[in-house]
Amino acid sequence: MSQLYNAFTLFLSLLVEAIPFLLLGVLLSSALLFFVDERQLISKMPRNPLLGSFVGSCVGFLFPVCECGNVPVARRLLTQGAPTSVAIGFLLAAPTINPIVIWATWVAFRDQPEIVVFRIIFSLFIATTIGWIFSFQKDPRPLMQTELAKRVINRLTASSNRDSENTPALLRSGTFLLAKSGTPVLMEEQALAATLTKNKPKTFDRNKLRLFLDTVIQEVRELGGMLVLGSAIAASIQVLAPRELILNWGQDPITSILAMMVLAAVVSICSTVDAFFVLAFSSAFTTGSLLAFLVFGPMIDIKAIGLMLSIFKPRIIIYLFAIAAQLTFVLTLSYSYFF
Amino acid sequence: MKKLEQLKQFILRLKQKNPRPQGKSKKAFSFKDFYTKILPWFDVFALLNWGLLMVKYRFTGQLQLLIHPNYFTLVLITGIVLIALSGIRTWQLLKQLRRGGSREPEVRHITIFPPGVATALLAIAAIAGLIVPPKVLASDTALQRGITESLPFTRTQVQSFTSRIKPEDRSLMDWIRTLNAYPEPDAYTDLPANVTGFVVHIDSLPEDYLMISRFVITCCAVDAYPVGLPVKLPSTRDQFPPDTWLKIEGVMTTEELNGERRLVINAIDANKIDTPSNPYEF
Repeated sequence: MSQLYNAFTLFLSLLVEAIPFLLLGVLLSSALLFFVDERQLISKMPRNPLLGSFVGSCVGFLFPVCECGNVPVARRLLTQGAPTSVAIGFLLAAPTINPIVIWATWVAFRDQPEIVVFRIIFSLFIATTIGWIFSFQKDPRPLMQTELAKRVINRLTASSNRDSENTPALLRSGTFLLAKSGTPVLMEEQALAATLTKNKPKTFDRNKLRLFLDTVIQEVRELGGMLVLGSAIAASIQVLAPRELILNWGQDPITSILAMMVLAAVVSICSTVDAFFVLAFSSAFTTGSLLAFLVFGPMIDIKAIGLMLSIFKPRIIIYLFAIAAQLTFVLTLSYSYFF
Repeated sequence: MKKLEQLKQFILRLKQKNPRPQGKSKKAFSFKDFYTKILPWFDVFALLNWGLLMVKYRFTGQLQLLIHPNYFTLVLITGIVLIALSGIRTWQLLKQLRRGGSREPEVRHITIFPPGVATALLAIAAIAGLIVPPKVLASDTALQRGITESLPFTRTQVQSFTSRIKPEDRSLMDWIRTLNAYPEPDAYTDLPANVTGFVVHIDSLPEDYLMISRFVITCCAVDAYPVGLPVKLPSTRDQFPPDTWLKIEGVMTTEELNGERRLVINAIDANKIDTPSNPYEF
């Protein structure tokens, strides 16, 4: 009973900490929808897969969100027709490659600037590589949850039309395609249509406010639901598996890295604060394993897997998880070996 | 991976329980009514509850049982924004009702939740939070996480480390900080100690020893990290069961415990106190 109560407290603690960041992410991504012409943003994205995923990884700099906040943004990018490589690069790198997190890491590891530098380099490298790998799948739809994939369809048709005719004017008249389709007109598309026809992204009328609110509430509801599930699982694991078990496991270069990666996935701590958390282990663990925690944690953790399930099919998340884990392991091990 | 599979199974089961409506329902109260009329209010309800929960935590002080004070303002603002969102939504829905026009069905872009389930999860979590207060983490968690004298480096450490505090005024946390800066136990011999914390019984220590402990929070209760010092009691520890909060007065000595030289508080006086309202250190 006491265990259950502990788990419940941890569960609430995770939620109270994560919901503000989730809300911030949702507000940012919804604002992005209304104030930024994503088609233009996306059309400026490089088509080259490698460059695309690298640019996607750096886009995080524009959105200071942690892993609870980047999922709605990544999802939006995908449904707006961003290349898979850009979206995956963003999804994996944004929690680390953003000003707040870099600043926090620097504050925590002032004495060891190499940790800050390698955290950035490794995260960028892994995100770019995985984005590049996934770019071989040109059409993101088979990777995504069915309901979400349906929303991409219209866009792709629109964009292929646009590409074939190659006239910028058509960029603005994508609306008729949407009206023709039998399904109810998606609200983002209405919003986008409004922005595009007026072609003044900064205007803000009452109708748009309503749409903005609709989007925010939908996203909060849906991602919030996932967050509740993810936090419940993370809290139970925390209570059931003693942390000592994980710590005793790792003293040498290899197992310490593995232990820290497991810890990162289990603790599910927000990337804005994880640097302070991991400092607690800096005396007992190798620098390589601290890096593993800092690089792997923001990409994959139990809480974030819940959120990612709102974008991708489970199989894809397993791939992401496996590749990210292996790359983190190899990179941080080579760091321990060479430095 | 197993968890993921379980989650998938769970969601599948949910889907089977709540099949999406196929076409028109013949019942008087159709699914469409449910989607268009009830669900929006359910959303308002869930958002409002979360907003209230956050504001309540902030003003009852329970928030410090959950997260670091640095985030208090963030949580409060989030609570207010959530309440405002539900307020604006209510106003919209009322306006629609007055106009009499039913709202066109909201676009379903639920990915894995059937409609209503996500809202229900949010609402249940918030209501549970409103009813059941958060718990102060206690000795079971401390033992599980492994109690130590070494300090997790918290954000506040850099600013607040100072040895200028008089020994008798140092809190348990101050002692731990001092000990981290200069770990030789002999340096502190015979200094007066006057600390509060909760009792943890450690089996490997002799009968008349207990650990006086505190949790340190870096970010939120999830990363609460127990620190503590051994206390040598004049009698056995049985009179102070685990989780009792104590005010210990004594002097510092060095003892050899389990083959390790450690700083120990030689207690002259130990008094039970109530659980403080701010049980964690930051």
